[in-house]
Amino acid sequence: VPDQPATNGPALAPASGGSGSNPPAARAGRPRGTDLLLLLALVGLLTVVVVGLLGGSGRPPDRAAELDARLRCPVCKSVSIADSPAETASAMRLVVREQVAAGRSDAEILAYFEERYGPTVRLDPPAAGRSLWLWVLPAIAAVAGVGLVLTRSRAGPLPTLSERDRALVAAELTALRRSGPEAVDREP
Amino acid sequence: VIWAAAGYAGTTLALAGSLALTIFAWRAARRPPTARRAPLRRAVTLMVVGAAVSMGSLELALVTDSFAVSYVAQNSSRATPLIFKVTAGWSALAGSIVLWSVVLAGFTAGVLRQVRSADDRLGTGALAVMGAVAAFFFGLVSTVANPFGVLSPVPLDGPGPNALLQNHLMVAIHPPLLYIGYVGFTVPFAFALSALAQRQAGVEWLRRTRRANLVAWTFLSAGLGVGAWWSYEVLGWGGFWAWDPVENAALLPWLVGTAFIHSAVVQVRRGLLQSWNIVLVLTTFGLTLLGTFLTRSSVVVSVHSFTTSSVAPALLGFFVASMVVGFGLFALRGSALASTGRLESLASREGAFLVNNLLLTLLAFVTLLGTLYPVFVEAVSGSQLSVGRPFFDRMAVPIGFALLLTMGIGPFAPYRAASGRVVWSRLRLPLLLGAAAAAGLVLAGLRSAPIVLLVLLGVVVAAGSARQLLTTAPDRRPRSLLRLVRGRRGYWGGQLAHVGVVVVALAIAVSAGLSDRTSVTLRAGQSVDFAGYSLTWAGTTGTDRGFRREQTARIELRRDGALVQVLAPRLNQYPSQQQAVASPAVWTTAQQDVYVALSALEPDRISVNLWRYPMMWALWAGGAIVVAGGLWALGGRTRRPAEPEPTPAGPAAGTPEPDRTPEPATEHDPAAEPSQVPVRA
Repeated sequence: VPDQPATNGPALAPASGGSGSNPPAARAGRPRGTDLLLLLALVGLLTVVVVGLLGGSGRPPDRAAELDARLRCPVCKSVSIADSPAETASAMRLVVREQVAAGRSDAEILAYFEERYGPTVRLDPPAAGRSLWLWVLPAIAAVAGVGLVLTRSRAGPLPTLSERDRALVAAELTALRRSGPEAVDREP
Repeated sequence: VIWAAAGYAGTTLALAGSLALTIFAWRAARRPPTARRAPLRRAVTLMVVGAAVSMGSLELALVTDSFAVSYVAQNSSRATPLIFKVTAGWSALAGSIVLWSVVLAGFTAGVLRQVRSADDRLGTGALAVMGAVAAFFFGLVSTVANPFGVLSPVPLDGPGPNALLQNHLMVAIHPPLLYIGYVGFTVPFAFALSALAQRQAGVEWLRRTRRANLVAWTFLSAGLGVGAWWSYEVLGWGGFWAWDPVENAALLPWLVGTAFIHSAVVQVRRGLLQSWNIVLVLTTFGLTLLGTFLTRSSVVVSVHSFTTSSVAPALLGFFVASMVVGFGLFALRGSALASTGRLESLASREGAFLVNNLLLTLLAFVTLLGTLYPVFVEAVSGSQLSVGRPFFDRMAVPIGFALLLTMGIGPFAPYRAASGRVVWSRLRLPLLLGAAAAAGLVLAGLRSAPIVLLVLLGVVVAAGSARQLLTTAPDRRPRSLLRLVRGRRGYWGGQLAHVGVVVVALAIAVSAGLSDRTSVTLRAGQSVDFAGYSLTWAGTTGTDRGFRREQTARIELRRDGALVQVLAPRLNQYPSQQQAVASPAVWTTAQQDVYVALSALEPDRISVNLWRYPMMWALWAGGAIVVAGGLWALGGRTRRPAEPEPTPAGPAAGTPEPDRTPEPATEHDPAAEPSQVPVRA
């Protein structure tokens, strides 16, 4: 119940600090300033991460390796030529490297292999023709799933605790905190 | 011949036992007052004894080289080492179905132990379903998958097991683990059907299957992990997961089963998602059958090989029949069981569980689609296409990151409704630590986005768990912490498994992003520089081990001229197979694995594929942590008897004290811990 004023005083503060052994009264007085400081530090660190990562990955993109992973090794079961130890695969890797060096585009290289080995040489069929549904169905499933989850959850004001319930919970909490380790083993 | 007779007799006994169990348990479930428990017990005993006799005879036939038995003649040889004779018991189709039915008989006996009396209708109904499933599998063993055929004249020798299945000891461990996982999901399926048939709403069926679910999930996780290790250490292609249909078949029930053990918590805690849980359980069971069908029929390689085995159509038929019965019952009766409660807010623990379920089932759907799509296309249009790693990776990576995100937030959000403030107060320190770790990595020069993000998430999950542990404990003494963790095995086992999952994800990202590979051809004495070492080929030795011929290359690793390590990749030549099987050599250190696999071996030169995987041990360690989490959640609790039926005399004398919840299964949840009740929040 976030927007309730903290009328119940320090004794009811949730255990938000990291110090479980402190008496509850000592924890409630954490100034808002600490939160702000934490938030600033977090934003600062995340900025470092984002800026660092936007600067590009450490490795230059390896087009040949990417293409290798998309081509099926024709003499294996379902392994790409990048993953296959077979001789055929290493010969095909050589061809890919030559064609990349010759400046041919990805589409041209894939078409070259499809012409020779048939459409099964591609491990990621294009989102067109017979393999269109392969790419469309996951998207439909995702949208349907999100819709289902959203309709299952009911928007609306959160129920609030009555003053009496609050007092009961407060009493229980204080009792639990006093009773020490034995209380922990009880089922909630 | 005696083993064939004994094995067939055992199978027939077990078949009779499972049919009897189905009939008796069905009757008991329909008319409890007239039923007694003794016939059920006898039927299960018959089934277990029969199954044990059938597996035992098969093993003894293999070990004693009784080639009169058809299965032995096809799958063993005199020269096969003893251990591989034993594992041959499940290395081919018929034997693996025998193993399946033995495990199923074991789980049925486990269910019987829970059924204390014949008027436990939920339990007897479940036994009836178990009996029916067992009858199908024993029926398979005694008909189309019969390993106990008798050959005459008796062959002198056999070809031995499939070369790959006698190449490494893993074959003794991986299949049984996987089968215990697969078959274990029959138990929740049986209870769900029983609850549906009897319109028993509530969490009773979930409480009573908790143990079986966890056993199945833990063993399936272990089976997957060991399978990945086997693929990496033994198969020699340099990877551990290929999104091969056979691997997907094992992953699918794991994904849906994982969704189920999460959403079961929501139903037990909050009474929501009852129908959804039934859907998940039916789907998981269906996927284990479908997975077995796919791996056993080779339909995924080509639809036309479909008819080569008569077991496959039977499996497909049983899959369809069980799904029709299951979902049919669900359609008819499900509304009676549906939970009335609604989710109050998506921002809550149960909301996170729901999102986790959505993501896991989506991932399962995508995996199933990618696995079956080529089959459908070929069946419809006759043309072929292949779907492989690029497709699966593109789908699995974003879904996986979203899953890890819910994993980082969900366990620390309270039930019903989480305000931003509570979540922030619980996660601010873990977030800060995670961001600091990520920033440290970036500043240290690591620029791979997936790895940095995974480190961030991983530190949040681990630090969040640690914070949760420290703040909920009354004090910091190790004894109190241990008591806390023991008191809520479900939650803390889950957190341990989460940490394991993050470690696995990180190891996968590192192996994908920071590994090196190359292929070289070396002449005698020639060297190549790789992974900081100079690798030299120093000759090849040949050994004849009877059941195979080994050619071992000696590869010396030197650093600054000093010999550091010798690696010995092999080619194993089996008489039953023309192409040699390569056994790679892997040198594991704390920093990296150096992986050497032979691709060609000639007198004057060898061709090797070399890989360097940084910190590969983390993958296996992460898998072990996941399994340890499952075991922790399972362990330490004595089996509780089923809740006594309410007696006519009203509430029993031992009514729980008012401040204790009577439900034993509520320990999944930490949110109600003393100091964490979100009162003001």
